[in-house]
Amino acid sequence: MKRVSSIDLFNRVLAQLLLILLVIASLLPLYNVVIASFKSSHAFALSSPFLPPASFSGENYVYAALHGHLLKFAINSLILVPSGLVVYIVVCLCAGYAFGKMRFGAKRPLFLLVLFLMIFPQLLLATEVFRLIAFMHLTDSGLGVILTWVAYFSPFGTYIMTTYFSDMPYDLVEAARLDGASQLRTLVSIMAPLAMPMIATIAIIGFQAMWNELPFSMLILQSQTSRTLTLGIAMLGGEYGLSVPAMSAALIIAMIVPLAMFLVFQRRVTLGVTAGAVKG
Amino acid sequence: MSHRRLGTDGIAPYLFLGPLLLLLGAFILYPVVMNLMSSFTDWKGYGAQKWIGLANYREMLQDGSFWTSIQNTVILVAYIPVSTIVTIFVAALLREGLRGWKAYRAILFIPNLLGPVVIGLIFSIYLRADGALNLLLKSITGSTVGFLTSTTAAINSVGIIQVVWVHLGFGLIYFLAAMNGIEPEIYEAALIDGAGFWQTMVRVTVPSIRFAVEFWVVFSFIEVFARMFSFIYTLTQGGPGFGTFTLEYGIFAQGFQKFRAGYSGAWSMVLFLFCAAISVAQIRLMRRRGV
Repeated sequence: MKRVSSIDLFNRVLAQLLLILLVIASLLPLYNVVIASFKSSHAFALSSPFLPPASFSGENYVYAALHGHLLKFAINSLILVPSGLVVYIVVCLCAGYAFGKMRFGAKRPLFLLVLFLMIFPQLLLATEVFRLIAFMHLTDSGLGVILTWVAYFSPFGTYIMTTYFSDMPYDLVEAARLDGASQLRTLVSIMAPLAMPMIATIAIIGFQAMWNELPFSMLILQSQTSRTLTLGIAMLGGEYGLSVPAMSAALIIAMIVPLAMFLVFQRRVTLGVTAGAVKG
Repeated sequence: MSHRRLGTDGIAPYLFLGPLLLLLGAFILYPVVMNLMSSFTDWKGYGAQKWIGLANYREMLQDGSFWTSIQNTVILVAYIPVSTIVTIFVAALLREGLRGWKAYRAILFIPNLLGPVVIGLIFSIYLRADGALNLLLKSITGSTVGFLTSTTAAINSVGIIQVVWVHLGFGLIYFLAAMNGIEPEIYEAALIDGAGFWQTMVRVTVPSIRFAVEFWVVFSFIEVFARMFSFIYTLTQGGPGFGTFTLEYGIFAQGFQKFRAGYSGAWSMVLFLFCAAISVAQIRLMRRRGV
């Protein structure tokens, strides 16, 4: 970024100091978790939480992964979240195309309805969603959670896809339609490939949303073996009364996938932040 | 949306919208309507239900934990201006092209990635009476703070962490993107006029990103009213006492811990009204933006 700066050297140094302090304050809790996770319970009780362990121990990780069942929970998440994501993308893509590039009478009221339903908290819906899931015999099933996630998170994905499609030139659709392509064919072979960057963006947004989701999974996935990683760690402390080092190892395990996603897709994650509100 | 008046595409659009509308109807619209119905009953969440009129609402208005939830929500709302000012200030600093601004932006974004459950659990350890932060405080000031054990401190911990700190990194990316759209000439003119950092920020930057600021405020209201549960559940479980109870948490406690679904339905309707108002505000903003 080329900058016209309004601050002088002295204040630049001051600003740097302020930012470094902010970063330290932000990373300190994380740092504590990292070092605690490598300490034995004995070493943790005796040493300062700010000092790294004298000898690094992997026992907490083994304990959390196996005894705390985090390995099982991670596998559950790695199955449920990508499956949910596929359904979510199909739903948002179709709906976004319909709102962005098709003509029909009820477009405005339906789109407003989707926008209106975007923000209601899970707890507002939980009792009835739970009843509905039980009615469909989907309690404790992956399908139950996936349907609920997709329903809950797709209004936002649809909104983003709609703004993207409505900004695309209409000629593209018209040309394809004049060539005799069906609407579905136009979407699949012309519009969807062009929308790939935005599909990737909503995929990241959807992934983070589903990966971190708690209330619905807590209600629907009742048996211990079907828990997601997020649900699993949320329940850990209460059930086992885990020691701080073991809990810290569990937290680190839970962070691996989101942090890896960020490292790999940093630019796309950044775009995801601005996709929702600032257009273009 | 393009508003061409050249006929319509028949039923095809409805087929494309089918999956979405079906899911929204079943999982969002229907639950909201049913909530309203059961708020007039003594439903437990299972079994039979009896119509009891406005009794749940009457009880709610006399329920201390309800008013505590409202009060806690007000405290969290008070952190929205704090978050807005802090975030814009840091973004304006980074905008000056400080060395390493990209690294700062990336590092401060980390809390967003980890999600409310991990963040809540991290701080439930970090802020303990014998936790790392209190050890640090004790060695510097000689005294400790009951971050999670005093009701006043606990709700403010929630505000500082979840309303201000967690969203800082998100806001930096968001506001920097908005500031990037400001013409450099405006800044040059401000510099020639002798405007310093503060003047430039208040007189040039903020007015130029008004839209982004408005979106940010609405977004923050959504976070406070509708996205707090997972964090509070893992940090304090609503405690100490009702110290970090919010409307969301109250619905959870009444509906799923005390098995009073009808009564929690009354709380839900209050939360619904707040959220509906926020939703309408957001739609108005989006429409002004030309969606």
